[in-house]
Amino acid sequence: MTQAAATEHHEPVENTSTGLNSRKLMMWAFLASDVMFFGVFIATYLVYRGKSLVGPYPSEILDIPITSVSTFVLLMSSLAMVLGLHYVKAGEKNKATLWILVVVVLGAIFMGFQFYEFRTFAHEGLTPRTNIFGTTFFILTGIHGAHVTIGVIWMAFMAYSSHFGQLRQDNALDLEIAGLYWHFVDIVWIVIFTVIYLISASDGPPLGVGPTIIHG
Amino acid sequence: MANLWHKLTQHDGNGWWNLPHGPSNELNPPFEGPIGGAWFGNLWRTLTHGNVSHAGVGFYWLVGFVLAVITLLEVWLFTLEGLGGWFIPILLFLSVVKFVGVVAYFMHLRFDNRMFTFFFASAMIIGILIFSILLVIMKYGNQPVLF
Amino acid sequence: MTTKSLRMPQLFPRPKSSTGIWSWIGTVDHKRIGTLYGITSFIWFIVGGLEALMIRGQLASAENDLIGPETYNQLFTMHGTTMVFLVIMPLSAAFFNWLIPLQIGARDVAFPRLNALSFWVFLFGSLLINFSWITGNAPNGGWFGYAPLSGATFNPGLGMTYWVVGLNVLGLASIAAGLNFIVTILNMRAPGMSMFKIPIFTWMTLITSVLIVLAMPVLAVAGIQLMTDRVYGTHFFNSLGGGDPVMWQHIFWLFGHPEVYILILPAMGIVSEVLPTFARKPLFGYPFVVFAGAAIAFMGWFVWSHHMFTVGLGPAANTAFSISTMLIAVPTGVKIFNWLGTLWGGNIRLNTPMLFSISFIAMFTIGGLSGVIHASPPTDAQQQDTYFVVAHFHYVLVGGALLGIFSGIYYWWPKFTGYFLNEKLGIANWALMMIGFNLQFAPMHWLGMDGMPRRIYTYGENMGWETSNMAASIGGAILGLGILVFIINVFYSKMNKVMAGNDPWDGRTLEWSTSSPPPVHDFDEIPQVKYRDDFWFQKYPETIAEYHHDEHDQAVPSGAQLDEVEEALPVVSGGSYGHGDGHSAIHLPDMSYYPFILALGIAGLGAGFLSNNVVIAVGAVILVWGLIGWAMEPVNDPK
Repeated sequence: MTQAAATEHHEPVENTSTGLNSRKLMMWAFLASDVMFFGVFIATYLVYRGKSLVGPYPSEILDIPITSVSTFVLLMSSLAMVLGLHYVKAGEKNKATLWILVVVVLGAIFMGFQFYEFRTFAHEGLTPRTNIFGTTFFILTGIHGAHVTIGVIWMAFMAYSSHFGQLRQDNALDLEIAGLYWHFVDIVWIVIFTVIYLISASDGPPLGVGPTIIHG
Repeated sequence: MANLWHKLTQHDGNGWWNLPHGPSNELNPPFEGPIGGAWFGNLWRTLTHGNVSHAGVGFYWLVGFVLAVITLLEVWLFTLEGLGGWFIPILLFLSVVKFVGVVAYFMHLRFDNRMFTFFFASAMIIGILIFSILLVIMKYGNQPVLF
Repeated sequence: MTTKSLRMPQLFPRPKSSTGIWSWIGTVDHKRIGTLYGITSFIWFIVGGLEALMIRGQLASAENDLIGPETYNQLFTMHGTTMVFLVIMPLSAAFFNWLIPLQIGARDVAFPRLNALSFWVFLFGSLLINFSWITGNAPNGGWFGYAPLSGATFNPGLGMTYWVVGLNVLGLASIAAGLNFIVTILNMRAPGMSMFKIPIFTWMTLITSVLIVLAMPVLAVAGIQLMTDRVYGTHFFNSLGGGDPVMWQHIFWLFGHPEVYILILPAMGIVSEVLPTFARKPLFGYPFVVFAGAAIAFMGWFVWSHHMFTVGLGPAANTAFSISTMLIAVPTGVKIFNWLGTLWGGNIRLNTPMLFSISFIAMFTIGGLSGVIHASPPTDAQQQDTYFVVAHFHYVLVGGALLGIFSGIYYWWPKFTGYFLNEKLGIANWALMMIGFNLQFAPMHWLGMDGMPRRIYTYGENMGWETSNMAASIGGAILGLGILVFIINVFYSKMNKVMAGNDPWDGRTLEWSTSSPPPVHDFDEIPQVKYRDDFWFQKYPETIAEYHHDEHDQAVPSGAQLDEVEEALPVVSGGSYGHGDGHSAIHLPDMSYYPFILALGIAGLGAGFLSNNVVIAVGAVILVWGLIGWAMEPVNDPK
C-alpha cells in the first residue's frame, strides 16, 4: 500500500514507525504463531489418519449432522463478531452489546456441543487412550476447545465493557483485536471440520486389522 | 488475467466486488454492475457499503450468508455418493474458500495494511510447505524408490 | 473514563521505589529486565558448565567409575537442555532487552509488562526444570528426548515429565519475548530510521524473533503430545497404540533446526556490530548480511530431516534434504565473506571484543564446514551419533554462539555499567577459552571418526580413545578456568573501576550516543536518524561523502535503491513510547507486579502437571488473578 492510500484510510494513523497499532501487529504475529501450533496438531492427525489398530473408528463414531450444526453455530458467531465490531465503530452501543452477547452465546453453545460430543464418545468407548484416532482427535479438538473457551471469556468481558460504556468508538480496537482472535479460532475449526469430520468420516479399520468384511 | 488477479488482491475500489475505502472513493458515475442497469449498482451499494465505512452491515451479512451456504453445500456433498476421488479435493477447495472469506473480510485483511497479510501469509506458507513435506515423507518415505 | 471505572482491587500497592527487591520484581524497564536475564542465564551457564566438567571427568580415562551411568545420562541431558534453553537463548535475550530499544532510539520495548512476564516465566520455567535435580529424578533422555526412550514405558518416573513441562513453560516465555521484539523493532524505530538503517544486530534480532515465534509453537506441540503420552497415556509416540516414534523426531527437528538458527543468529548480529567498530569501517555488504539472515531463516525450515538421515526416510527424502542442507551453507558463507570483507583494509584494533569476534569467525567456519560434511547422507551415516557430531555442534554453539556472546559482553559492558572490563584479564579469558575449547573439542573430531559413540558413560581400555579423551578433559578444565577468569574479571573490574565515557570504542550505532549506563528513559531526546550508522556520521560528517557519494541517496533518506522493500514497510512517522506529545514529556510506563504473579500462575500450572490437580487449581487461580489484574491495570496510574 502506498503512503497516500494509507492516509486515506479511516483508521487513525498510529504514532509508530509503521503507522500500525502495536497491539494489533502483535495479535497478527501471535496468530502467525498459532498457525504453526495448530498446523502441527493437524499434521499429526493427518499422518496418523487411518492408523488406529482397534475401534471405535471414525466411521463408527463421528456424528456429522450434530457437528454440522455446531460448525454452523461457530461460523455465525464470526458474523455476529464482525457486526458487533461494526456497531462499536459506528457508536451504536446497544446494538454492539447485543451482537457481542450473541458471540458469547453462540460460542457457549459450541462449547456445549463439544462437551456433549466428548461425553458421547467416551460413553461409546472412545477416549484419548483407546486408539490413535482418539488420541489425535481429542487432543486437537480439545486444544481448539480451550481456545474457544478463552475466546468466550474474553468476549464476555467485551460485552460487559460495552454495556457499561467502557468500549467506545475510540477504543474499538480492543474489540477488533479480540475479534481477530475469535475469527482465527473459527478458521481453525473450518479446517478441522473439513479434515477431521467430513473427509475422515468414512475411515474404517486399516487394511488387515479388525473384522474383514467380505462383499458378496 | 493479471487484471483479474489485481482486482481480487488489491483494494482500489474499482470493481463491483471491490468496496471503496470511503465516500470519497466512490466511483463517479456509479458503476452500473456487470449485468447492466443502474438498479444493480444502487442495490449493491445500498446492500454493502456502510454510510462511512468501506464495508457495511449488509456486506457482512452477505459474506456470512455465502459462508453458511458453503457449509451446507459441504454437508450435502458429504451425503452424496459417487464423488469418488473428487470428494476430498472439492471439500478442501470449499474449506479454503471459507477460510479465505473469513480471513479476507471478517478479519479485514482485504482492507487492511498489507503487513498483516504478510505476517499471516508467511506463517501459512511455511506451515503448509513443511507439513505437506512431512505428510509426504511419512506416507511414502519408507518406500525404496519414489521416482 | 467518564463512566464508572473498571479497576481491580489491588492486594498490594503498585510498586514505586527504584531500589530494593520490589523495584526488581515490579520492574518493566528493559535494561533491568536485560540485567535479570543476563544474571540468571549466567548462573545457569555455570551450572551447565559444571555438568559438562563432570561429564569430562567421567570420560577422562577408560573404564572410569567417577559417576554412574544413571547420573551420567541425567548430566548430558541436563547439560544440553541447560546450555540451549537456559543459557544461549536467554543470554541472547539479555542482549535483545538491553540493546534493541537503545539501538533503534526508543525509550522502552513495545510491551514493557509483557517483557517482564517473559523474564519471570523464563525464571520459573528454568527453576522448574532444574528442581528435578533436587528430587533426584533429573531428565535422562537426551536433550532431544527421542521417543520412545522418553515415553512412560521406557522412562518411568518424573524425570522426562519435568523436561517437557519445563520446556513448555520456557517456550511460552520465548514466544512472548519474540512477539514483543518483532513489534518493537517494526514499530518503535526513531524518526527517519527505515528498516535498512537499523543496526545489523537489530535485524538479526528481528529474524531470530520471527523464528522463535514460528518455531516455538512446534516445540510446544511436541511437548504437549509427549506430556499427554506420559501423564494421560495417549498414543502419539507409542507404536503399540498406532503411534509412531519417528513422528517425535520429525516434530522435534521441525522445531530443532530453526532453533539452531535462533541460537546462532544473535551471535552473528553481535559480531556484525563488533567487527565494523574495531575495524573502523562500515559493515561490508549490509544488505547481503540482512538478506542472508532472512534466507537462513526461511531455508532453515526445510532442512530438518538431515538430523534423521539414518532413520530410513528413503533415498528421495534423504536426497532432497541433503541438497537443501548444502544450499543453506551458501547464505552462511555469504556472511563469513562479509565479515572478512569488513576486516579487509580496516584500521583494526585488537581489543578483547575484537579477539572474541575474530575467533568467532574462525571457529564458526570450522563448525560450519563439519556441518556441511554431514549434509551428505552416506557420510552422515558414518558419523551419526558419534563424537564427530558432538565436535560439530560444539564448534558451532561454543565456538560460534558463545564466543559471539562473550564478544558482546566485553563490547557492551561499558555501556551497561559505565566501566570497562579489565583488558588484561579479558585477554587471559579469551586465550584460556580458545586453548581450552580447541583442546576439548578438536580431538572429538577424530574420536568420532574412530567410532566413539555419543552418550556412552565409559569406554574400554583397548579402544585407543584414552589419549584424546584425556586431552578433551584437560581442555574442558582449561575452558572452565577461562570462565573463572571472566568471573574474576567481573568482580575485579567492579572494584577497580576504569570509567568509560559514553562512547569508549568509537561506536557506530545509537546506543553509544546516550550516557553509560543509560538513564531510565534511555535518551533525553529521541534521535533523528538520517543514515545507516547515523551516530558515526554525526561524529565524522566528513566521511559522509565517502560512503554516500550518490547525491540521490542523500536527498532521499530512505535509500533509493531499496525503495521497493521500503514500500512494504512504510515509515509514516517516527514514534517511540511517549514520543507523541513532543520531546518535553518523557513518559515511562509504571511498574507492575502482575507479570510476576501471572508467571507464578503459569509455573503453578506447570508444577501441577508434575504433582496433582490441586496445584493446577491453585496455579489457575493465581493465573486468573494475574490476568485480570493486568488487564484492568492502566499502564500509567492517573497522576
